[in-house]
Amino acid sequence: MELLVLLVTLAVLLLIGVPVAFALLGSTLVTFFMLDLPAIAVFQRMAGGLSTFSLLAIPFFIFAGELMHRSGIAERLVRVAEASLGRSRGGLGQVAVGASVMFGAVSGSAIASVSAMGSTLMPLMRERGYDADYAVNVTSTSAICGLLIPPSHNMIIYAAAAGIGVSIGELFVAGIVPGLLTGAALMVVAWLVGVKRGYPRGVFPGWPAFLRAFALALPGLMTAIIIVGGVLGGFFTATESSAVAVIYTILVAALVYRTLGPNMLMGAAIQAVKTTAMVLLIIGSASAFGWILALLEAPTQLAELITTVTDNPIIILLIINVILLVLGTFMDMSPLIVITTPIFLPIVTALGMDPVQFGIVMMLNLGIGLVTPPVGSVLFVGAAIGKIRVEDTVKTIWPFYGALFVALMLVTYFPALSMGLVDMMR
Amino acid sequence: MTPSVRPIFDGLSKVLLGVSALGLLAMSAIIGWQVFARYVLNASPSWSEQASLVLMIWFVSFAAAAGVHEGFHIRMSAFADSLPAPWPSIFRRISSAVIVLVGIAMAVWGGELIWRTWSHVIPTLGLPRGVAYLPLPISGALMSIFALEDVFIDRPHRGPLGGTTVIDVEEN
Repeated sequence: MELLVLLVTLAVLLLIGVPVAFALLGSTLVTFFMLDLPAIAVFQRMAGGLSTFSLLAIPFFIFAGELMHRSGIAERLVRVAEASLGRSRGGLGQVAVGASVMFGAVSGSAIASVSAMGSTLMPLMRERGYDADYAVNVTSTSAICGLLIPPSHNMIIYAAAAGIGVSIGELFVAGIVPGLLTGAALMVVAWLVGVKRGYPRGVFPGWPAFLRAFALALPGLMTAIIIVGGVLGGFFTATESSAVAVIYTILVAALVYRTLGPNMLMGAAIQAVKTTAMVLLIIGSASAFGWILALLEAPTQLAELITTVTDNPIIILLIINVILLVLGTFMDMSPLIVITTPIFLPIVTALGMDPVQFGIVMMLNLGIGLVTPPVGSVLFVGAAIGKIRVEDTVKTIWPFYGALFVALMLVTYFPALSMGLVDMMR
Repeated sequence: MTPSVRPIFDGLSKVLLGVSALGLLAMSAIIGWQVFARYVLNASPSWSEQASLVLMIWFVSFAAAAGVHEGFHIRMSAFADSLPAPWPSIFRRISSAVIVLVGIAMAVWGGELIWRTWSHVIPTLGLPRGVAYLPLPISGALMSIFALEDVFIDRPHRGPLGGTTVIDVEEN
Protein backbone atom coordinates (compact mmCIF):
# COMPACT_ATOMS: atom_id res chain seq x y z
CA MET A 1 0.00 0.00 0.00
CA GLU A 2 2.69 2.49 1.02
CA LEU A 3 4.72 1.35 -1.98
CA LEU A 4 1.77 2.11 -4.24
CA VAL A 5 1.44 5.59 -2.70
CA LEU A 6 5.15 6.21 -3.21
CA LEU A 7 5.14 5.17 -6.88
CA VAL A 8 1.82 6.82 -7.78
CA THR A 9 2.86 10.09 -6.11
CA LEU A 10 6.13 10.00 -8.01
CA ALA A 11 4.37 9.31 -11.32
CA VAL A 12 1.81 12.09 -10.78
CA LEU A 13 4.47 14.63 -9.77
CA LEU A 14 6.61 13.74 -12.80
CA LEU A 15 3.62 14.02 -15.16
CA ILE A 16 2.68 17.45 -13.78
CA GLY A 17 6.18 18.54 -14.70
CA VAL A 18 7.77 18.74 -11.24
CA PRO A 19 11.57 18.53 -11.67
CA VAL A 20 12.83 14.97 -11.13
CA ALA A 21 14.76 15.76 -7.93
CA PHE A 22 11.75 17.42 -6.28
CA ALA A 23 9.40 14.66 -7.44
CA LEU A 24 11.68 12.07 -5.80
CA LEU A 25 11.89 14.06 -2.55
CA GLY A 26 8.17 14.93 -2.56
CA SER A 27 7.01 11.34 -3.01
CA THR A 28 9.49 10.14 -0.36
CA LEU A 29 8.22 12.76 2.11
CA VAL A 30 4.55 11.84 1.50
CA THR A 31 5.34 8.17 2.16
CA PHE A 32 7.28 9.09 5.29
CA PHE A 33 4.30 10.97 6.69
CA MET A 34 2.03 8.02 5.92
CA LEU A 35 4.36 5.67 7.77
CA ASP A 36 4.69 8.22 10.57
CA LEU A 37 8.48 8.17 10.29
CA PRO A 38 10.65 11.16 11.27
CA ALA A 39 11.15 13.28 8.13
CA ILE A 40 14.62 14.31 9.30
CA ALA A 41 15.78 10.88 8.11
CA VAL A 42 14.97 11.85 4.50
CA PHE A 43 17.47 14.69 4.62
CA GLN A 44 19.96 12.65 6.57
CA ARG A 45 19.90 10.14 3.69
CA MET A 46 20.18 12.95 1.19
CA ALA A 47 23.16 14.50 2.97
CA GLY A 48 24.69 11.04 3.38
CA GLY A 49 24.21 10.30 -0.32
CA LEU A 50 26.12 13.49 -1.18
CA SER A 51 28.91 12.99 1.38
CA THR A 52 30.63 10.31 -0.66
CA PHE A 53 34.27 10.92 -1.54
CA SER A 54 34.10 9.24 -4.94
CA LEU A 55 31.45 11.78 -6.05
CA LEU A 56 34.11 14.50 -5.89
CA ALA A 57 35.28 13.44 -9.35
CA ILE A 58 31.91 14.36 -10.91
CA PRO A 59 32.23 18.18 -10.90
CA PHE A 60 35.79 17.88 -12.19
CA PHE A 61 34.92 15.62 -15.12
CA ILE A 62 31.99 17.87 -16.03
CA PHE A 63 34.19 20.98 -15.73
CA ALA A 64 36.95 19.44 -17.87
CA GLY A 65 34.39 18.51 -20.55
CA GLU A 66 33.01 22.04 -20.52
CA LEU A 67 36.51 23.52 -20.86
CA MET A 68 37.40 21.22 -23.77
CA HIS A 69 34.19 22.11 -25.53
CA ARG A 70 34.70 25.86 -25.16
CA SER A 71 38.42 26.10 -25.73
CA GLY A 72 38.36 24.44 -29.14
CA ILE A 73 39.88 21.09 -28.16
CA ALA A 74 36.72 19.38 -29.41
CA GLU A 75 37.03 21.19 -32.73
CA ARG A 76 40.58 19.87 -33.18
CA LEU A 77 39.36 16.34 -32.54
CA VAL A 78 36.75 16.84 -35.25
CA ARG A 79 39.50 17.83 -37.71
CA VAL A 80 41.43 14.62 -36.98
CA ALA A 81 38.28 12.58 -37.52
CA GLU A 82 37.51 14.48 -40.69
CA ALA A 83 40.97 13.90 -42.12
CA SER A 84 40.80 10.17 -41.42
CA LEU A 85 37.11 9.27 -41.89
CA GLY A 86 35.67 11.90 -44.22
CA ARG A 87 36.19 10.06 -47.50
CA SER A 88 33.26 7.62 -47.52
CA ARG A 89 29.78 8.49 -48.75
CA GLY A 90 28.04 10.47 -46.03
CA GLY A 91 31.52 10.82 -44.57
CA LEU A 92 30.58 13.53 -42.11
CA GLY A 93 28.37 10.97 -40.35
CA GLN A 94 31.47 8.81 -39.80
CA VAL A 95 33.34 11.91 -38.71
CA ALA A 96 30.67 12.66 -36.10
CA VAL A 97 30.91 9.15 -34.65
CA GLY A 98 34.72 9.08 -34.73
CA ALA A 99 35.05 12.50 -33.14
CA SER A 100 32.50 11.58 -30.45
CA VAL A 101 34.52 8.47 -29.61
CA MET A 102 37.66 10.60 -29.28
CA PHE A 103 35.79 13.20 -27.24
CA GLY A 104 34.51 10.35 -25.06
CA ALA A 105 38.11 9.46 -24.32
CA VAL A 106 38.87 12.92 -22.97
CA SER A 107 35.51 13.62 -21.31
CA GLY A 108 32.70 11.51 -19.93
CA SER A 109 29.72 13.74 -20.31
CA ALA A 110 27.28 12.88 -23.10
CA ILE A 111 25.77 16.36 -22.88
CA ALA A 112 29.17 18.04 -23.28
CA SER A 113 29.80 15.68 -26.21
CA VAL A 114 26.59 16.47 -28.08
CA SER A 115 27.04 20.20 -27.39
CA ALA A 116 30.62 20.13 -28.63
CA MET A 117 30.05 17.91 -31.67
CA GLY A 118 26.73 19.51 -32.51
CA SER A 119 28.03 23.05 -32.48
CA THR A 120 31.12 22.19 -34.57
CA LEU A 121 29.72 19.61 -36.98
CA MET A 122 26.11 20.60 -37.57
CA PRO A 123 26.90 23.86 -39.40
CA LEU A 124 29.44 21.97 -41.54
CA MET A 125 26.89 19.24 -42.31
CA ARG A 126 24.24 21.82 -43.25
CA GLU A 127 26.70 23.52 -45.58
CA ARG A 128 27.38 20.25 -47.42
CA GLY A 129 23.75 19.34 -47.89
CA TYR A 130 23.12 16.96 -44.99
CA ASP A 131 19.63 17.05 -43.46
CA ALA A 132 19.21 18.47 -39.97
CA ASP A 133 17.51 15.33 -38.64
CA TYR A 134 20.46 13.16 -39.73
CA ALA A 135 22.93 15.58 -38.16
CA VAL A 136 21.06 15.57 -34.85
CA ASN A 137 20.52 11.80 -34.83
CA VAL A 138 24.11 10.89 -35.51
CA THR A 139 25.68 13.39 -33.06
CA SER A 140 23.17 12.58 -30.27
CA THR A 141 23.39 8.80 -30.49
CA SER A 142 27.17 8.75 -30.84
CA ALA A 143 27.47 10.87 -27.69
CA ILE A 144 26.47 7.63 -25.90
CA CYS A 145 29.89 6.17 -26.75
CA GLY A 146 31.40 8.72 -24.37
CA LEU A 147 29.50 7.15 -21.46
CA LEU A 148 31.30 3.85 -22.09
CA ILE A 149 34.75 5.07 -23.05
CA PRO A 150 36.67 6.17 -19.97
CA PRO A 151 36.54 8.52 -18.17
CA SER A 152 32.83 8.50 -17.36
CA HIS A 153 31.33 10.18 -14.33
CA ASN A 154 28.29 7.92 -14.51
CA MET A 155 30.61 4.97 -13.83
CA ILE A 156 31.62 6.75 -10.63
CA ILE A 157 27.97 7.07 -9.63
CA TYR A 158 27.55 3.35 -10.37
CA ALA A 159 30.62 2.38 -8.33
CA ALA A 160 29.28 4.43 -5.40
CA ALA A 161 25.80 2.87 -5.73
CA ALA A 162 27.16 -0.68 -6.03
CA GLY A 163 29.09 -0.27 -2.79
CA ILE A 164 32.50 -1.61 -1.93
CA GLY A 165 34.19 -4.04 -4.25
CA VAL A 166 33.53 -2.35 -7.59
CA SER A 167 36.69 -0.61 -8.76
CA ILE A 168 36.44 2.57 -10.82
CA GLY A 169 39.66 1.62 -12.60
CA GLU A 170 38.19 -1.73 -13.71
CA LEU A 171 34.98 -0.05 -14.86
CA PHE A 172 37.07 2.35 -16.94
CA VAL A 173 38.95 -0.49 -18.61
CA ALA A 174 35.80 -2.57 -19.11
CA GLY A 175 34.11 0.24 -21.04
CA ILE A 176 36.75 0.57 -23.77
CA VAL A 177 35.76 -2.34 -26.06
CA PRO A 178 31.98 -1.88 -25.66
CA GLY A 179 32.44 1.84 -26.40
CA LEU A 180 34.37 1.13 -29.60
CA LEU A 181 31.85 -1.56 -30.55
CA THR A 182 28.95 0.87 -30.11
CA GLY A 183 30.84 3.42 -32.19
CA ALA A 184 31.40 0.82 -34.94
CA ALA A 185 27.69 -0.14 -34.97
CA LEU A 186 26.72 3.54 -35.27
CA MET A 187 29.25 4.06 -38.09
CA VAL A 188 27.66 1.24 -40.09
CA VAL A 189 24.20 2.77 -39.68
CA ALA A 190 25.47 6.30 -40.39
CA TRP A 191 27.03 4.98 -43.61
CA LEU A 192 23.91 3.04 -44.69
CA VAL A 193 21.63 6.03 -44.11
CA GLY A 194 24.17 8.33 -45.77
CA VAL A 195 24.29 6.15 -48.90
CA LYS A 196 20.50 5.87 -49.03
CA ARG A 197 20.09 9.63 -48.86
CA GLY A 198 22.91 10.21 -51.35
CA TYR A 199 25.07 12.43 -49.15
CA PRO A 200 28.34 13.61 -50.72
CA ARG A 201 31.78 12.08 -50.34
CA GLY A 202 34.56 13.98 -48.63
CA VAL A 203 38.12 14.15 -49.94
CA PHE A 204 41.23 12.88 -48.21
CA PRO A 205 43.34 15.96 -47.48
CA GLY A 206 46.62 14.03 -47.82
CA TRP A 207 49.01 12.72 -45.19
CA PRO A 208 50.71 16.03 -44.34
CA ALA A 209 47.37 17.62 -43.54
CA PHE A 210 46.30 14.58 -41.55
CA LEU A 211 49.48 14.59 -39.49
CA ARG A 212 49.15 18.32 -38.94
CA ALA A 213 45.58 17.90 -37.65
CA PHE A 214 46.76 15.08 -35.41
CA ALA A 215 49.66 17.10 -34.02
CA LEU A 216 47.33 20.01 -33.23
CA ALA A 217 44.92 17.70 -31.39
CA LEU A 218 47.63 15.80 -29.53
CA PRO A 219 47.86 18.05 -26.43
CA GLY A 220 44.09 17.62 -26.02
CA LEU A 221 44.21 13.87 -26.54
CA MET A 222 46.90 13.62 -23.86
CA THR A 223 44.14 14.25 -21.30
CA ALA A 224 42.86 10.74 -21.98
CA ILE A 225 46.26 9.28 -21.21
CA ILE A 226 46.61 11.35 -18.04
CA ILE A 227 43.22 10.30 -16.69
CA VAL A 228 43.13 6.63 -17.63
CA GLY A 229 46.86 6.01 -17.30
CA GLY A 230 47.00 7.90 -14.01
CA VAL A 231 44.21 5.85 -12.46
CA LEU A 232 45.34 2.47 -13.81
CA GLY A 233 48.98 3.10 -13.02
CA GLY A 234 48.07 3.91 -9.42
CA PHE A 235 49.50 7.43 -9.62
CA PHE A 236 46.19 9.13 -8.93
CA THR A 237 42.82 8.30 -7.42
CA ALA A 238 39.86 8.87 -9.77
CA THR A 239 39.18 12.19 -8.03
CA GLU A 240 42.78 13.33 -8.34
CA SER A 241 42.98 12.34 -11.99
CA SER A 242 39.84 14.33 -12.74
CA ALA A 243 41.21 17.41 -10.94
CA VAL A 244 44.53 17.04 -12.75
CA ALA A 245 42.58 16.80 -16.03
CA VAL A 246 40.91 20.13 -15.20
CA ILE A 247 44.21 21.84 -14.41
CA TYR A 248 45.91 20.30 -17.46
CA THR A 249 43.04 21.38 -19.74
CA ILE A 250 43.19 24.92 -18.36
CA LEU A 251 46.95 25.02 -19.01
CA VAL A 252 46.69 23.58 -22.54
CA ALA A 253 43.81 25.87 -23.47
CA ALA A 254 45.44 28.97 -22.01
CA LEU A 255 49.08 28.41 -22.96
CA VAL A 256 49.15 26.06 -25.97
CA TYR A 257 45.93 26.78 -27.85
CA ARG A 258 45.66 30.31 -26.42
CA THR A 259 41.87 30.27 -26.59
CA LEU A 260 41.07 30.45 -22.88
CA GLY A 261 40.76 33.73 -20.99
CA PRO A 262 39.33 34.57 -17.57
CA ASN A 263 35.81 35.12 -18.95
CA MET A 264 35.72 31.77 -20.69
CA LEU A 265 37.12 30.06 -17.59
CA MET A 266 34.40 31.59 -15.44
CA GLY A 267 31.73 30.78 -18.04
CA ALA A 268 32.84 27.15 -18.14
CA ALA A 269 32.92 27.00 -14.32
CA ILE A 270 29.38 28.40 -14.07
CA GLN A 271 28.00 25.95 -16.62
CA ALA A 272 29.85 23.08 -14.89
CA VAL A 273 28.41 24.12 -11.53
CA LYS A 274 24.89 24.14 -12.99
CA THR A 275 25.24 20.66 -14.47
CA THR A 276 26.87 19.35 -11.28
CA ALA A 277 24.12 20.83 -9.11
CA MET A 278 21.49 19.23 -11.31
CA VAL A 279 23.19 15.82 -11.22
CA LEU A 280 24.06 15.82 -7.52
CA LEU A 281 20.68 17.15 -6.32
CA ILE A 282 19.13 14.23 -8.18
CA ILE A 283 21.65 11.79 -6.68
CA GLY A 284 20.92 13.09 -3.18
CA SER A 285 17.15 12.80 -3.67
CA ALA A 286 17.50 9.42 -5.33
CA SER A 287 19.47 8.15 -2.31
CA ALA A 288 16.55 9.07 -0.04
CA PHE A 289 14.04 7.59 -2.50
CA GLY A 290 16.06 4.38 -2.92
CA TRP A 291 16.27 4.03 0.84
CA ILE A 292 12.48 4.18 1.34
CA LEU A 293 12.07 1.72 -1.58
CA ALA A 294 14.36 -0.69 0.25
CA LEU A 295 12.52 -0.06 3.52
CA LEU A 296 9.27 -1.08 1.79
CA GLU A 297 11.05 -4.20 0.48
CA ALA A 298 10.39 -3.29 -3.14
CA PRO A 299 13.71 -4.71 -4.38
CA THR A 300 13.07 -8.13 -2.84
CA GLN A 301 9.51 -8.19 -4.16
CA LEU A 302 10.64 -7.32 -7.67
CA ALA A 303 13.43 -9.90 -7.55
CA GLU A 304 10.96 -12.57 -6.42
CA LEU A 305 8.54 -11.56 -9.14
CA ILE A 306 11.20 -11.86 -11.84
CA THR A 307 12.49 -15.19 -10.57
CA THR A 308 8.97 -16.67 -10.39
CA VAL A 309 8.38 -15.75 -14.04
CA THR A 310 11.48 -17.58 -15.21
CA ASP A 311 14.77 -19.01 -14.02
CA ASN A 312 16.40 -18.77 -17.45
CA PRO A 313 19.34 -16.36 -17.10
CA ILE A 314 19.05 -15.19 -20.71
CA ILE A 315 15.43 -14.19 -20.22
CA ILE A 316 16.08 -12.64 -16.79
CA LEU A 317 18.79 -10.42 -18.31
CA LEU A 318 16.42 -9.50 -21.13
CA ILE A 319 13.68 -8.59 -18.63
CA ILE A 320 16.10 -6.41 -16.64
CA ASN A 321 17.25 -4.71 -19.83
CA VAL A 322 13.68 -4.02 -20.92
CA ILE A 323 12.75 -2.62 -17.48
CA LEU A 324 15.79 -0.33 -17.54
CA LEU A 325 15.08 0.77 -21.13
CA VAL A 326 11.48 1.65 -20.25
CA LEU A 327 12.48 3.48 -17.06
CA GLY A 328 15.24 5.21 -19.03
CA THR A 329 12.80 6.79 -21.45
CA PHE A 330 11.03 8.52 -18.55
CA MET A 331 13.87 9.28 -16.22
CA ASP A 332 17.36 10.61 -16.30
CA MET A 333 20.38 8.35 -16.01
CA SER A 334 21.83 9.26 -12.61
CA PRO A 335 18.73 8.70 -10.41
CA LEU A 336 18.13 5.38 -12.14
CA ILE A 337 21.70 4.26 -11.44
CA VAL A 338 21.31 5.16 -7.76
CA ILE A 339 17.84 3.60 -7.41
CA THR A 340 18.08 0.46 -9.56
CA THR A 341 21.65 -0.70 -8.88
CA PRO A 342 20.83 -2.06 -5.39
CA ILE A 343 17.73 -3.76 -6.87
CA PHE A 344 19.24 -5.50 -9.89
CA LEU A 345 22.85 -6.05 -8.89
CA PRO A 346 22.08 -8.93 -6.46
CA ILE A 347 19.94 -10.63 -9.13
CA VAL A 348 22.59 -10.51 -11.84
CA THR A 349 25.47 -11.46 -9.55
CA ALA A 350 23.42 -14.50 -8.49
CA LEU A 351 23.36 -15.40 -12.19
CA GLY A 352 27.13 -15.18 -12.25
CA MET A 353 27.51 -11.79 -13.95
CA ASP A 354 30.43 -9.67 -12.79
CA PRO A 355 29.34 -6.36 -11.18
CA VAL A 356 31.78 -4.59 -13.52
CA GLN A 357 30.06 -6.03 -16.61
CA PHE A 358 26.65 -5.09 -15.24
CA GLY A 359 27.92 -1.55 -14.79
CA ILE A 360 28.78 -1.38 -18.49
CA VAL A 361 25.38 -2.86 -19.46
CA MET A 362 23.76 -0.19 -17.31
CA MET A 363 25.78 2.66 -18.88
CA LEU A 364 24.77 1.62 -22.39
CA ASN A 365 21.17 0.80 -21.49
CA LEU A 366 20.48 4.01 -19.58
CA GLY A 367 22.54 5.90 -22.17
CA ILE A 368 19.90 4.89 -24.73
CA GLY A 369 17.38 6.52 -22.38
CA LEU A 370 19.22 9.83 -22.85
CA VAL A 371 18.31 9.88 -26.55
CA THR A 372 14.69 8.73 -26.21
CA PRO A 373 11.72 11.02 -25.50
CA PRO A 374 9.81 11.95 -23.39
CA VAL A 375 12.87 12.60 -21.21
CA GLY A 376 16.06 12.47 -23.22
CA SER A 377 18.38 15.30 -22.32
CA VAL A 378 21.07 14.48 -24.89
CA LEU A 379 18.60 14.29 -27.79
CA PHE A 380 16.92 17.50 -26.57
CA VAL A 381 20.20 19.38 -26.49
CA GLY A 382 21.10 17.95 -29.92
CA ALA A 383 17.76 19.00 -31.40
CA ALA A 384 18.08 22.46 -29.84
CA ILE A 385 21.51 22.96 -31.43
CA GLY A 386 20.28 21.58 -34.76
CA LYS A 387 17.29 23.92 -34.46
CA ILE A 388 14.71 21.26 -35.25
CA ARG A 389 11.90 19.80 -33.17
CA VAL A 390 12.49 16.58 -31.24
CA GLU A 391 9.39 15.09 -32.91
CA ASP A 392 11.02 15.51 -36.31
CA THR A 393 14.31 13.84 -35.34
CA VAL A 394 12.55 10.87 -33.77
CA LYS A 395 10.86 9.98 -37.08
CA THR A 396 14.20 9.01 -38.64
CA ILE A 397 16.25 8.00 -35.58
CA TRP A 398 15.14 4.33 -35.60
CA PRO A 399 18.14 2.83 -37.45
CA PHE A 400 20.41 4.49 -34.86
CA TYR A 401 18.33 3.05 -31.98
CA GLY A 402 18.73 -0.31 -33.75
CA ALA A 403 22.52 -0.03 -33.70
CA LEU A 404 22.52 0.90 -30.00
CA PHE A 405 20.20 -2.00 -29.19
CA VAL A 406 22.36 -4.52 -31.05
CA ALA A 407 25.40 -3.24 -29.14
CA LEU A 408 23.46 -3.51 -25.87
CA MET A 409 22.55 -7.14 -26.55
CA LEU A 410 26.14 -8.02 -27.46
CA VAL A 411 27.49 -6.36 -24.30
CA THR A 412 24.84 -8.11 -22.17
CA TYR A 413 25.37 -11.63 -23.49
CA PHE A 414 29.10 -11.63 -24.27
CA PRO A 415 30.93 -10.95 -20.98
CA ALA A 416 34.31 -11.12 -22.73
CA LEU A 417 33.61 -7.79 -24.46
CA SER A 418 33.65 -5.99 -21.10
CA MET A 419 35.70 -8.39 -19.00
CA GLY A 420 38.42 -9.42 -21.49
CA LEU A 421 40.71 -6.48 -20.73
CA VAL A 422 39.76 -6.50 -17.03
CA ASP A 423 40.69 -10.17 -16.66
CA MET A 424 44.07 -9.44 -18.22
CA MET A 425 44.62 -6.82 -15.51
CA ARG A 426 43.39 -8.86 -12.54
CA MET B 1 4.10 39.50 -4.84
CA THR B 2 4.74 42.02 -7.61
CA PRO B 3 6.83 41.55 -10.74
CA SER B 4 9.44 43.88 -9.25
CA VAL B 5 11.09 41.01 -7.34
CA ARG B 6 12.30 39.56 -10.65
CA PRO B 7 15.48 41.70 -10.96
CA ILE B 8 16.36 41.01 -7.32
CA PHE B 9 15.93 37.27 -7.81
CA ASP B 10 17.86 37.37 -11.10
CA GLY B 11 20.73 39.10 -9.32
CA LEU B 12 20.63 36.76 -6.32
CA SER B 13 20.64 33.74 -8.61
CA LYS B 14 23.65 35.13 -10.53
CA VAL B 15 25.53 35.77 -7.28
CA LEU B 16 24.81 32.21 -6.09
CA LEU B 17 26.12 30.78 -9.35
CA GLY B 18 29.19 33.01 -9.32
CA VAL B 19 30.07 32.03 -5.76
CA SER B 20 29.51 28.37 -6.66
CA ALA B 21 31.81 28.65 -9.67
CA LEU B 22 34.53 30.11 -7.42
CA GLY B 23 33.93 27.15 -5.10
CA LEU B 24 34.54 24.76 -7.99
CA LEU B 25 37.78 26.57 -8.91
CA ALA B 26 38.90 26.46 -5.27
CA MET B 27 38.11 22.76 -5.16
CA SER B 28 40.23 22.15 -8.29
CA ALA B 29 43.10 24.01 -6.63
CA ILE B 30 42.78 22.03 -3.39
CA ILE B 31 42.90 18.61 -5.07
CA GLY B 32 45.64 19.85 -7.39
CA TRP B 33 47.58 20.90 -4.29
CA GLN B 34 47.01 17.45 -2.77
CA VAL B 35 48.67 15.79 -5.79
CA PHE B 36 51.48 18.37 -5.84
CA ALA B 37 52.10 17.95 -2.12
CA ARG B 38 52.26 14.19 -2.38
CA TYR B 39 54.63 13.96 -5.32
CA VAL B 40 56.71 17.09 -4.89
CA LEU B 41 56.65 17.83 -1.16
CA ASN B 42 56.30 14.19 -0.11
CA ALA B 43 53.56 15.11 2.35
CA SER B 44 49.89 14.34 1.78
CA PRO B 45 47.61 16.91 3.39
CA SER B 46 45.01 15.13 5.53
CA TRP B 47 42.37 17.83 5.21
CA SER B 48 42.15 18.28 1.44
CA GLU B 49 39.56 15.66 0.42
CA GLN B 50 37.27 16.35 3.36
CA ALA B 51 37.51 20.10 2.74
CA SER B 52 36.68 19.57 -0.95
CA LEU B 53 33.68 17.48 -0.03
CA VAL B 54 32.30 20.16 2.31
CA LEU B 55 32.99 22.77 -0.37
CA MET B 56 31.18 20.67 -2.97
CA ILE B 57 28.06 20.24 -0.81
CA TRP B 58 28.03 24.01 -0.29
CA PHE B 59 28.34 24.98 -3.93
CA VAL B 60 25.98 22.28 -5.16
CA SER B 61 23.33 23.50 -2.71
CA PHE B 62 23.72 27.12 -3.80
CA ALA B 63 23.70 26.32 -7.50
CA ALA B 64 20.73 23.96 -7.06
CA ALA B 65 18.78 26.83 -5.46
CA ALA B 66 19.71 29.11 -8.37
CA GLY B 67 18.54 26.29 -10.62
CA VAL B 68 15.00 26.66 -9.31
CA HIS B 69 14.99 30.31 -10.40
CA GLU B 70 16.70 29.58 -13.72
CA GLY B 71 14.62 26.46 -14.27
CA PHE B 72 17.50 24.20 -15.27
CA HIS B 73 16.50 21.17 -13.19
CA ILE B 74 15.51 18.26 -15.43
CA ARG B 75 11.77 17.80 -15.69
CA MET B 76 9.33 16.06 -17.95
CA SER B 77 7.27 18.82 -19.54
CA ALA B 78 6.05 16.94 -22.63
CA PHE B 79 2.77 15.74 -21.11
CA ALA B 80 1.72 18.98 -19.44
CA ASP B 81 2.67 21.05 -22.48
CA SER B 82 0.61 18.87 -24.79
CA LEU B 83 -2.64 19.77 -22.98
CA PRO B 84 -5.00 22.58 -24.16
CA ALA B 85 -4.64 26.21 -23.12
CA PRO B 86 -5.07 26.88 -19.42
CA TRP B 87 -3.65 23.51 -18.28
CA PRO B 88 0.06 23.88 -19.00
CA SER B 89 0.10 27.09 -16.99
CA ILE B 90 -1.90 25.54 -14.13
CA PHE B 91 0.44 22.53 -14.02
CA ARG B 92 3.49 24.78 -13.99
CA ARG B 93 2.08 26.66 -11.00
CA ILE B 94 1.26 23.42 -9.17
CA SER B 95 4.74 22.16 -9.93
CA SER B 96 6.23 25.35 -8.46
CA ALA B 97 4.01 24.93 -5.39
CA VAL B 98 5.44 21.42 -4.92
CA ILE B 99 8.94 22.92 -5.00
CA VAL B 100 7.88 25.48 -2.37
CA LEU B 101 6.69 22.67 -0.07
CA VAL B 102 9.73 20.45 -0.61
CA GLY B 103 11.96 23.49 -0.03
CA ILE B 104 10.21 24.25 3.26
CA ALA B 105 10.61 20.61 4.33
CA MET B 106 14.29 20.82 3.45
CA ALA B 107 14.69 24.02 5.48
CA VAL B 108 12.85 22.69 8.54
CA TRP B 109 14.12 19.12 8.77
CA GLY B 110 17.50 19.92 7.31
CA GLY B 111 17.78 22.50 10.07
CA GLU B 112 16.89 19.89 12.67
CA LEU B 113 19.57 17.62 11.20
CA ILE B 114 22.18 20.31 11.76
CA TRP B 115 20.99 20.99 15.28
CA ARG B 116 21.35 17.30 16.10
CA THR B 117 24.74 16.76 14.47
CA TRP B 118 26.38 19.98 15.69
CA SER B 119 28.23 18.13 18.45
CA HIS B 120 29.72 15.60 16.00
CA VAL B 121 33.13 16.76 14.80
CA ILE B 122 34.63 16.01 11.35
CA PRO B 123 38.00 14.57 12.48
CA THR B 124 40.35 15.92 9.78
CA LEU B 125 38.89 19.42 9.79
CA GLY B 126 37.99 19.92 13.44
CA LEU B 127 34.66 21.42 12.37
CA PRO B 128 31.18 20.30 13.46
CA ARG B 129 29.50 17.88 11.03
CA GLY B 130 26.65 20.38 10.88
CA VAL B 131 28.86 22.77 8.90
CA ALA B 132 28.78 20.31 6.01
CA TYR B 133 24.99 20.09 6.18
CA LEU B 134 24.30 23.79 6.82
CA PRO B 135 23.78 24.65 3.12
CA LEU B 136 20.91 22.15 2.89
CA PRO B 137 18.34 24.20 4.86
CA ILE B 138 19.67 27.47 3.41
CA SER B 139 19.22 26.07 -0.08
CA GLY B 140 15.76 24.74 0.81
CA ALA B 141 14.68 28.18 2.00
CA LEU B 142 16.05 29.85 -1.14
CA MET B 143 14.32 27.26 -3.35
CA SER B 144 10.98 27.99 -1.65
CA ILE B 145 11.38 31.73 -2.09
CA PHE B 146 12.38 31.38 -5.75
CA ALA B 147 9.58 28.93 -6.52
CA LEU B 148 6.99 31.07 -4.70
CA GLU B 149 7.46 33.74 -7.36
CA ASP B 150 6.69 31.20 -10.07
CA VAL B 151 3.51 30.12 -8.29
CA PHE B 152 2.17 33.65 -8.65
CA ILE B 153 3.75 34.68 -11.93
CA ASP B 154 3.73 31.93 -14.51
CA ARG B 155 6.83 31.50 -16.64
CA PRO B 156 7.21 28.95 -19.44
CA HIS B 157 9.59 26.07 -18.84
CA ARG B 158 13.08 26.85 -19.99
CA GLY B 159 14.10 23.60 -21.67
CA PRO B 160 15.81 20.50 -20.29
CA LEU B 161 18.90 22.47 -19.32
CA GLY B 162 17.14 25.76 -18.96
CA GLY B 163 18.18 26.76 -22.44
CA THR B 164 21.41 27.91 -20.83
CA THR B 165 23.52 25.20 -22.45
CA VAL B 166 21.97 25.90 -25.80
CA ILE B 167 22.53 29.65 -25.56
CA ASP B 168 26.11 29.09 -24.44
CA VAL B 169 26.69 26.76 -27.35
CA GLU B 170 25.41 29.31 -29.85
CA GLU B 171 27.71 31.95 -28.45
CA ASN B 172 30.73 29.82 -29.25
